[in-house]
Amino acid sequence: MIGEQELVDAMACLEPEALQRWVELGLVLPQTDGDGLQFDTTDVARVRLICDLHYELQIEESNLSVVLSLVDQLYEVRRDLRRLLSAVEAQPEDVRVDITKRVTTKT
Amino acid sequence: MRMVRARRGRRMTRLADPYQILGVSREATQTEIRKAYLRLAKKNHPDLHPGDKSAEARFKDIASAHDIVGDAKKRARFDSGEINASGAERPRPPEREFYRQHADAGPGSKYDRNWHDTEHFDSDLFAELFGARGAQGNAKGPDINYTLSVDFIEAVNGAKKRVVMADGKTIDISIPAGLQDGQSLRLRGQGHPGIGAGAPGDTLVEIHVKPHAVFHRDGNTIRSTLPVTIGEALAGAKLSVETVSGTVQLTIPRGSNAGTILRLRGKGVPAKSGLGDHLVELQVVLPDHADEEFIKSVAEWEAKHPYNPRATEGVPS
Repeated sequence: MIGEQELVDAMACLEPEALQRWVELGLVLPQTDGDGLQFDTTDVARVRLICDLHYELQIEESNLSVVLSLVDQLYEVRRDLRRLLSAVEAQPEDVRVDITKRVTTKT
Repeated sequence: MRMVRARRGRRMTRLADPYQILGVSREATQTEIRKAYLRLAKKNHPDLHPGDKSAEARFKDIASAHDIVGDAKKRARFDSGEINASGAERPRPPEREFYRQHADAGPGSKYDRNWHDTEHFDSDLFAELFGARGAQGNAKGPDINYTLSVDFIEAVNGAKKRVVMADGKTIDISIPAGLQDGQSLRLRGQGHPGIGAGAPGDTLVEIHVKPHAVFHRDGNTIRSTLPVTIGEALAGAKLSVETVSGTVQLTIPRGSNAGTILRLRGKGVPAKSGLGDHLVELQVVLPDHADEEFIKSVAEWEAKHPYNPRATEGVPS
């Protein structure tokens, strides 16, 4: 967990006002406690991604929510798929072989 | 030895020409370099391509190439050989952590559904895959209920009806002989489509049988009344009678009283459960205009041969 100031110091590109806006927009969801905002490692990596999207890839701030929504859905689906895969892995071999055959045959 | 060689190999790739990495010529303008960088960065950002394992290495190469030639001053120093592709002795920034290392693994679901109205958004991939199809099963489609009016004779003898359903589909309905009022026909597979791999539902056709002016039905027995004259009832007669299967000749025995029931064997409902009979009840009808002569002669006859129909309880058969 790091605080707001620490995070801004760690990222050269990050403007404190921008970070506050992103938090207000719900693009980043830090914890709030008495001392202010607390960012966990996931939040930090997400802020870095938003910096990349905004400052490097020049995605306007008003479009960030659209991009992040798609990104979030992508990761959610990937995690779902991974759970599905582990469920498949727990199946008897003939079932696994059959599923693999069906999945790899693109229609 | 092997370690050293490996390290050297890695350095070789790190020191690849930044112009080559960005796919621009040495003469490219800063704007062209910036454009090329943006295009490649979007294409290779590892967080936007979680399924591409090599995206991270490519993105880092692109970023460090841009770090050198994207900046006009640094580019000049690189072109003059003052610094190499690693950015001279300047230490590389610490290995950065990408978002996908958090979001793509483990429970990392903090940002799931950040964008949905959580109260109304309760479907996830599995709800979609197994909920709709699994929980309700590969469910049979819903049935369609339909009411069909048929004529009395059609219900008795069976018929084929062509009806147009609500969805515009035409179906042929085979009404079996002997169908009763209120019975339903099940047309398998003619209902709504199934859910998932489920079979389609059925169409249930409830049959309403219209009443007939002459015939009444009692199971597989048809009943009707036959009006006869006094003379026909007294002397007997051979009369034409309508049945559900056409006109037949019926012999009225001499002296048949009103209420006499005559059986026409096998002229009832031709149901699978058995062929019914047609029962004809005689109804003696006075003439419309009985004149004085007729009345007088009947009264004279009755005076000589008095009879009391109310004295006997027996019902003529």
